[in-house]
This record gives sequence, C-alpha cells and structure tokens, in this order.
Amino acid sequence: MNKTILLLLLSPFFIFAQDFSDEDFIYLKRHEHIQIKLNEHKFDISNNISEQAEYLTSNKLYFANESMSFDSFRTIEDIDAYTYIPSSDKKIKVDYIETKRDFDNGVFYSDQESKSFIFPAVTKGAITNLSYKEIIKDPHFLGLFRFGTYVPTKSAQLSIEFPKNVTIGHIEFNTKNIDVNFKKEDSPNGYTYTWTANNIQGFQGEDDTESALYYLPHIIVYIKNYTEEGKTYNVLNDVSDLYNWYNSLVEQIDDKDLKKVYDIADNITKNLSAKQEKAEAIFNWVQDNITYVAFEDGLGGFIPRGAASVCDKRYGDCKDMANLLYEMLNHVGIESYRTWIGTRDRQYSYHDVPTPMVDNHMINTAIVENDTIFLDATDSYVPYGMPSGFTQTKEALLGIDKDTYKIIKVPVQDASKSISKVTSEFTLDDTSVKVTEKREMTGYEKVDFISDYTFKKNDQTDEQFLNTNLALGNNKTKYTNITKANFNNKQTPLVLQYDLNIENYAKTIGNKTYINLNIDRSLSKSGLDLEGRKYSKKIDYLFEKQFISHLTIPEGYKVSYIPEELSFENPHYGYKITYSVDGNILTQHKDIYVKTLSIQNDEFESWNSFIKSLIKAYKKSIILEKL
Amino acid sequence: MIKRALIVLLLATSSSFAQQFRTYDWEKKPKLHKLTKEETEESSIGILKKHIVEYSANIMSPEPKRYETEHTITRVNDDKGIARHNTVYIPMYEVKKVVDIKARTISPKGKVTVLNQENIKEVKNVDEYGDFKIFAIEGVEKGSEIEVLYTVEKEFDMYGAETIQSNYKIKNAEFTFITGNLKSNVKAYRTDVKFEDITVDGNNAKSLILKDIPAMVEEEYATPDANKTAVVYQCFPNGQDISQEMFWTNVSYNVGTKFFPSEVSPKVSNDLPIITEGKTDMSTFEKASRVDNFIKSNFNIVKNNNEELSNLDYILENRSASSFGILKAYAHYLKALDVEYEVVITASRFEYKFDPTFFIPSMLREFLIYLPTEKKYIAPDRIEYRVGEAPANILGNYGLYIKRDLGHYFQKIEQNDPNYSQVKRTTDITFNDDIESAIIEMHQEYTGHWSATNRAILNLSSEQGIKEFKEYLTSSGVEDKQEISFSTENNDINQTKYNVPFIVNSKVSSESLIEDAGDSYIFQVGLIIGTQSELYQETERVNPIEMSYPNQYDYTITVHIPEGYTAEGLSSLNLNKSYKNDKGEKLAKFESSYKLEGNKIIITIQEFYKTVEYDLDRYEEFREVINAASDFNKAAILLKPVE
Repeated sequence: MNKTILLLLLSPFFIFAQDFSDEDFIYLKRHEHIQIKLNEHKFDISNNISEQAEYLTSNKLYFANESMSFDSFRTIEDIDAYTYIPSSDKKIKVDYIETKRDFDNGVFYSDQESKSFIFPAVTKGAITNLSYKEIIKDPHFLGLFRFGTYVPTKSAQLSIEFPKNVTIGHIEFNTKNIDVNFKKEDSPNGYTYTWTANNIQGFQGEDDTESALYYLPHIIVYIKNYTEEGKTYNVLNDVSDLYNWYNSLVEQIDDKDLKKVYDIADNITKNLSAKQEKAEAIFNWVQDNITYVAFEDGLGGFIPRGAASVCDKRYGDCKDMANLLYEMLNHVGIESYRTWIGTRDRQYSYHDVPTPMVDNHMINTAIVENDTIFLDATDSYVPYGMPSGFTQTKEALLGIDKDTYKIIKVPVQDASKSISKVTSEFTLDDTSVKVTEKREMTGYEKVDFISDYTFKKNDQTDEQFLNTNLALGNNKTKYTNITKANFNNKQTPLVLQYDLNIENYAKTIGNKTYINLNIDRSLSKSGLDLEGRKYSKKIDYLFEKQFISHLTIPEGYKVSYIPEELSFENPHYGYKITYSVDGNILTQHKDIYVKTLSIQNDEFESWNSFIKSLIKAYKKSIILEKL
Repeated sequence: MIKRALIVLLLATSSSFAQQFRTYDWEKKPKLHKLTKEETEESSIGILKKHIVEYSANIMSPEPKRYETEHTITRVNDDKGIARHNTVYIPMYEVKKVVDIKARTISPKGKVTVLNQENIKEVKNVDEYGDFKIFAIEGVEKGSEIEVLYTVEKEFDMYGAETIQSNYKIKNAEFTFITGNLKSNVKAYRTDVKFEDITVDGNNAKSLILKDIPAMVEEEYATPDANKTAVVYQCFPNGQDISQEMFWTNVSYNVGTKFFPSEVSPKVSNDLPIITEGKTDMSTFEKASRVDNFIKSNFNIVKNNNEELSNLDYILENRSASSFGILKAYAHYLKALDVEYEVVITASRFEYKFDPTFFIPSMLREFLIYLPTEKKYIAPDRIEYRVGEAPANILGNYGLYIKRDLGHYFQKIEQNDPNYSQVKRTTDITFNDDIESAIIEMHQEYTGHWSATNRAILNLSSEQGIKEFKEYLTSSGVEDKQEISFSTENNDINQTKYNVPFIVNSKVSSESLIEDAGDSYIFQVGLIIGTQSELYQETERVNPIEMSYPNQYDYTITVHIPEGYTAEGLSSLNLNKSYKNDKGEKLAKFESSYKLEGNKIIITIQEFYKTVEYDLDRYEEFREVINAASDFNKAAILLKPVE
C-alpha cells in the first residue's frame, strides 16, 4: 500500500523530468543515416544528417549558431536549414552560409574548415531544422554517433545501409543506462542496421573528469570487410588491418638525407657506451631541440615527415618526433619502434575498436637492455624512462615490421617516481613565522611544475608565481632568496629553495602562542560535491608528498600542546601526520599519497572522508607557552 | 637635346616614385647581436622591430599606392621564447598583393636557415579576422635569432595604426612613414620621443625611433593592451587635406542617417503589443527597458560577412543582425515608442583609448544607445546588460555622441549614479555544539554591474559554470563548505525597473574555518568575506590604475560566541585604509571595526571605490586599500573556554 503511494507520488515527477520542460534548448531529433555503396573495390559513402531542435525559452539564443566541420577526408553537401515558428506558422530559411577557418592552439595548421551559419528568428517556441549530407571519402573514417550530447535529445537515431557483400562492425559505449533499440532490416539491395534511443538527458562536462567519451553514450561503426567475386577483402576487420593501413602510410615517409640525421645521432652518442645512456641522450636531444608545431593536412596528418627535414626545421609534431627518434635510435644500435597510441582522452582498446578512432598520438618505443621504454618527446620535460603522463594505462601499438605489430599497455607509473619532498625549518619572531624551505620534485611532480612555470607564469614574478601555485601560509606570505635548480628533463630532482616570512601567522594570547605548521595544504580543495557530481574524478598521475618540518622553540618557551597522530589509510590514498619534540626542536612528519588515476563514483564518499580527515588534521595548531 | 631632357625628367619622376621596399633589405651575412646578461635571461628579446608605411602617388589613379614593410629580429632564449615567436601569422586584411615574405634563423653557432617559401600556408576567412599567410620558423634553437621581413601592397585606405610595444622588451623600434608630397598626419601614443622629418629615396618621410621599449606586462586593475606604445596615421589622396573635425562630421552624418529614421518601419508594428503588453502610461525608462528586453529575447547578433545583416528589412525578418545593424532595430522600436535617444560610438578601454583628436576608423568598435533624459545607456550587443549605466569595459573611455539632428559631441563615458554597483551582505555565524563546524547564514543584495553579471551567469552559463558561481556566491574563501540551503531572487535577466537588486540567501556549514588549539579554537573569521588577492609591487608598476567599475561593499558579520567560551584577539578586526583626493574626500577605502554585544561580536565592513581611475603616482596608497581586504582575510578570533 505504502509502496503504491510512493510510486504515484514519484511518477508525475518522472514524467515531468522526461519532457525536459525545465531546459532552455533541446534536440527533438538527431538522426544520421549512413549509406555505403561498393563498386569495383571503390566505396561510395555518404552520411545523411538531420536535426531538429526546439527553443523552450529565449534565454540561450546563441544555440542558433551552427557549424559543421569538414576536411580533406569529408565534404559537406546539400545543406538545408530553416527555422519554423509554430505560433505564426512561419518558415524562415537560412540564406547565408559561410566557409570558415579557426586558429587552434594545439594545431598550427589544419585543413579543417567549417560551414557556419545562424538560424534566423529563433525565440521561445522556435523549432530549427537542419539536414545535410556528409561525403566520407575514405572508408577508414565512418566516425562515431553520439546518442547523447550537451543538451537533451528526444530522438537519437543512427542507421547504416550497406550492400550484402559488406560486413559492418559496431560497438556501443556508455549505453548501459539508456535503452538502445537495435533493428536489422533485410532488403534485396542490402541490409540496414538501425539504433534508436529516446529521451536522452544532456551531458555537460565537469571539472577534473575524464573526456566526454567516457560518459557520453555513443556508438562506433566501421567497415570490417567486403567480398567480391568470392574473395574477401579486409578493410578494418581487426587490428592487423588497421596496422597494415598505418604501415602503408609509414612506407611513404620521406627518407632522403638520412645521413644528416645519423651524423647528429652519432655526435650525440659519441662518448657514450651503454645503450641506456645513448637512448637517454638521443631522447633528451629531441626533447630539447625539436619544438612542437603540428600540421594536420590530409594524409599528411598521418604520415610522419622525413627525419632529415624535421632536423633541419627543428620543429615537428608527435609523429615527426616519434619517427626521428626511430631513425636515430636504430642507427646507434638501439631497437626501437614507431608506436601509435591514444591518449587517456580516448578510452578505447585496439582489440575492440580496430579503427583510427582509437589513437590520436604517436610515440617511440625502445627496447633497452630488455626494458621497454616509452619515449614521448612532445613532453619536453618528462625524464627518460617514464612515459608521458597522459599515455599511462593506454595500449601502445608498436610497428615491428611490415607485417608484424605488437600491442603493449603503458604501465601506470608508481607513486614513488613522482615525489615532492619538502623540508622546512620554522622559527618564530613574535607573531611572524620565518621558514626556510627546500622542495625537491621528481617525475611528474617535476614535469608539472616546470610546464606551469614555463607556460603559465606569464608576467608574474617568481614570488607571485610561487604564492599562487603553492599558496603557503596566508595570502601575505613573502618569498625571498628564491633559487631554482634542475629545470630540465633529466632524472635529477628539481630543487626549489626559498625563505618565507609569514606575518601575523602565529597568534599570541596571554602567555600562549598558537602556530599551525601546515603552511602547505595540498588537496584541501579537492573534496567532491556528492550531491551534484555525475562523473568520475580523473587524476593525472600517482604521487607522494613528504614533508618534514622543524620548529625551533624560542628561548623562554615550552611546548604545552602537540596534536596527536592523525592518519587516513586506504590502498588508493591516505596521509599520516605525526609530531614529536626533542630538546628545543619540534618535528612534524607529514606524508600524503595518491595511488590511483581515477576516483569512481562509488568511491566518492571514501575520497571525501580522506579529504575531510586531512583538512581536520591541517587545522591542528601547536601551542607554545611562556615559561 | 630636348629629347634628352625629357628622358632625364622621366627618370627623375620614376625615381621619385621608387619605393623604399625595393631597396630595403636585411643584412647579406647576418650575425648574432650582442646582448647584455639580463637580456639573455629573458625568454625573448626584440632586437629590431621596424615598420615602414609608404604611400606613393599613383600615376594611374588619384588614389595613392600603399605599402607596408615589417622587419623584425628577435632573440629567443628558452622554450617559452621559442613558442612565442616560432609561428608567424601575417594578416591579409586589405592586402592587394604580397610583394615578398622571407624569414631566416641564425643559430647560436651562426648557422643560417632560410625559410622555404613552399612552407608558407594560406588560411582563408579565419573567424572575424580575415585571411592569413602563416608559417613556422625553421631551424630555431635556444639562443637563435629569428628574422622576418615582409612587404605587402595594401588597398588604399586613408588611415592606419601600428602597435609598437609588445609583451617582451624591444631594443630598437622604428616606425617610418613615407608620404612624399601627399598631405598626412601622424601621432604617437605613450612615448615622449618625437617624430623626425627625414627623406627616404628623395621622398618626405617621418621617422620615430624608440630605444629599449620595456615589455608591456599584465597587471591587475589595468588595461595593458590599450596602453601599449602605438602610432596612428592618416594620408590623403593627392591634393586633399582633411581635418579631424571633417572626419567626425562625416562619420556622424553617415552613421546618424542610418539610425535616426524619419518613419517607423511597418514591420515592427506587430511586435509593439508584445513589447508594451498593452501598457500605455510608461516612463521612458520602462519603454526603453521593454524594447531592450524584447530585442535581446528575439534577435541574435551575428559575426560573419553577410552584408544583409545591416539591412533593416532583413534584420526584422530574420531577427539576426550585425552588431552595427542591430542599432537599426533599436532605432525603429524606440522611435515607435517615442523614446528620445542618441547613438554613441566608442571602444572598450581594455582595447583602445578612444581619441577624439585623431580619427581612425578602427577605434570605432562599440556602439551604445544613450537616453539623454534618463542619462542611461543601452548596450545593444551585450546580452548581459539591460538599460542602465554603460558597460564596465567602456567606462572612462571617450565616446562620439550623435544626436537626432546629426550634430555630434564628445564626452567621457562615466557613471551617472555613483552608487550603481553595491554589495550589501549580512552574515550570521553560529557554531554547532562541539565547535567542530560553523554555520554561515548570508543574505546578500547585489546591484549594478554585479547584478548584471550575476544574472547573466545564472541564465547563460553551463552547469559547471553555475556550480562554480554558486561556490563563489556562498563565500569563496571557505574550502570545505557544505550547502544547507541556497536560493536567489530577482534572477530574471529581463527587468523593467531600474537597478533591481539580485538577492542571494544561503546557509552553509564549514569545518575548515575552525582550527584546534588545545582546548581552545581559532576561528578564521577573515575568510568569510571570500578570498581576497594580494596586490603585489615587486617590480615598478607600469600601467595606470583602472578599476573594473566604481563599487561599494557593506558587510555586517555577526558571530555568536558559543556558550562557555570567550572571544579574544579581536583587535585584528580593526582596519582602516583610505585613498583621498586633493580635497580630502575618500575615493577608496577599506574600513572594518567590531563591537561586542553580549555574546555577539558584530563586525562592520565598508569598502568602496568611487571612481574608475586612480593616480599611478599614488599606487602605493591604492594598494594599501586593496590589500587591507586581504589583511582582513587573516583576521582570526580565539575562542577560549571561560575559566
């Protein structure tokens, strides 16, 4: 009985939530129909796209801006777009479409362009309609279809129509929580597969989370193979076909003037005998001397530029650096391979998705004294021996030779490789606290610090930069005698030293002085919003922070209170803070570790208990008393 | 004999038409330049930045030819320096012909790498910026010098501007303005150095040579981009000379005739009942507000090259307009409702300091509508603003005001209501039984620019944006707060009354504000006002001080001392810093004080900034006021058990 009432109470609410009436803008439909034709080994592929959207309010008229991108692999044709105003039964056509380019921060030159226009006369109640045809010129790029997008969709549908001698592969992602209806149709001309999903909520990004591909419901379709005259021809049947295609592109690399490259490699390694030293020297040379500049120009976006030309120009993108490393390392006798890889933004496996959607990056893999070393020279500061942080956990596709490839997972780098070690000497001068501090950083802690210092410091002075990045003490902390060492890509720790003067930091009341030694409050802002948060929290790398702080107890004072030991232990994250007194020196040990790359939703509460416990520990002051 | 004289004459003529770019070139054998130790520690240093603008009379047409040459040599010392200079974008706006583009790199060892011309890419129609030629510099290493030299022929245009200062130091900058016998004007901003009269290949020219131009730096309370050393110029067709006044009269006439229609378009009549909702006796303010609300709920401003976007019929039909064209829509609706207005042309003060004494069209960047009877503005292409004061980024800049009779005047755009933007906040703080957490209850009222921004964010932002904004509205200095309740009032972006406050009521709890100290507690009351940033002064201040807009904060914070405790250390709550004008009136201040009433500590804070601009010479005093707020952040109260 009670249950029925509850259901009755709940159901109107659900219905209400589903008609999206509290939204400003929704898609009534987003449909795509891919049509594949095959004639004498030649594919003719087009994707017919039709979209209809409704403005439920006049708040966000900026949604009227529409832009469809294309490049040398796809063109756009037959655009038909108009706005329909139901109240006046008026139809206003889009009569102006512009072809535009964009400057992108990551890619210097790209052949991508867009057809842009704005829907006319949108206001509350307006319905916009768009249909166009995308011609897909290369059968490797069927792409993906999102059932969900940034705003709700009432009807999402992908269909694909293909001849009977073609086999299609398809794989869905993040569709567990939505209903996708799949239908197969058989007609004399071929098959049609249709996936339909209705009333899909909107997906908007959150901070510190994985890329949208991790939570947006979507599907990837691809051409596996086709049969002609009894013979089967693979397109992307499995990963070996993808590799074959990649290899056919690699074979087009310009290999002229390689002697120039070899001379440089010989010169860099001439005084080195161990393979590991040679590999490290070459890797560091490419990191130091080749600047990242990316060009994406047709197949040029897939074929590395010749190593000699990259050396001359001193710039290149990921594939250019990967290939240059390949030429240099193999020349000095180090086994190394061109390697395709997806960054952490693409969660796919080569085995599940044997298409170019899987990867977006290229590195080099070297085998040095039986160790597999992933070399990503696009990261100018990562030390030799560590992969770039954003490739951890990802499958690397190593091109061994013409027909052979190998897939290896890039291992997660242990927290012990990325350590910040901080030693601080505190002295008290009335209510001012003076601290002499030394920070040593290794691994990704070092990489992150140098990258921020190099590219995010802008016009800030060193003091301002440290004050905003480390946020030690209070907002009045003064930094003096700042010294920096090892701002490079070597394996030696970066060393940062400075003196701090934190005015009004200690509180003296009566004969008692209160001081909090936790001037560094790492992670105190990383609590998660349990109510509103939807997606997992992404962590860039595993790390440890080790603090040792000494306070010299001023003459005429004794320690009247030290906080008890506080800790939080969990295999994935935790901390421990202890205090001890020896003579006139008070010591605090503080260790913090994070040993996971992601906090899944079911761990949010546990993570928050960790942060809460840490904040509580940060709040503990020690008390000195006048004798 | 005669024949010969003619040849000489012809030769002379053609040589006087010889263009400087034909003779100007880079060093045949480049060498690295000597730099001081400090200069090699900068990410990059401009060794030369030479810009030549050349107008030369054209036998074929009354319009002179116009060439521009840019020659730069830059030393790059580190990764950041390389990243700053290794890609080159040459705008093709108004370019008729590229005469030459070349670039080379001189490595620290003296090796010269010349740009392969084939690697110059063409990029068409980039957003609002037009076409570009782009290329990446080849052969750059740390310590290299990058040299770029190009000449373009541009369509004839009477005016131009060139920014000379950059965000890195430039050792030698030259601006050469060659006009021969044509009438011309040139003016430099933000330098004391004067132009010199020179001749270049026999042609009259003016030259400005600047040494050691410091890097323009990003600073708070500043408009660095608009403060760079720059040059503007005008050059007229043969035989013409145009005064600045003639230019302005011309602009006022051309613009004015478009925006003061004699008849209201019949196309707006259907919309009028929707705008007025049948009301007849409305104030001018309400009429203008309703027009503003209507247009911003029904029209989109479009940035593309569609010329129809400034055609009234097209605009009304498609409800889409350029930021210029939208004024026509306003004009017709306002006229239909009999609202008197003027048109204002100006610029964002963060981009360009509008100069009534020297006309160039590129400073005509922003359009406003001024309601002279109300002394208020409409910002047609600003979705977040409704009828009120001018947008914050315009305040303090000059504007060209065009009247219905097409007459014009200049005026500094200032706030009419000095108390337009205020934050009134009352905060009540209680503690739970074990003094583990503090409960912070707030009532806040925001007006003016604050309320415009607040409403816009809540209405236009993404979910994540709104989440962050809520965080900001409920005291940003508290890291671990938990929301207990949150609500807003008057958050509709379309308002018809003047300066309706945006209201926030919130209740949150926090543990991080309370620190343990044995059996006592330290309560970080200072963080309740939100994290205040410290204004630094390590290097000499470069930019004049400009606030975002005049504003005032009035806070009352009541702390309820828990039973069984007393409060100590209250003196840190008393702060008093101010900045006074010549007459001794406070133009900016931060003042906080407290009183004890029973078990309550009542803290009162008043902080205000009455004007936008403050004297650069008195930066230190201004800084003290700003920093007083961050001083207050540190204020803490000790809660001690009663003995």
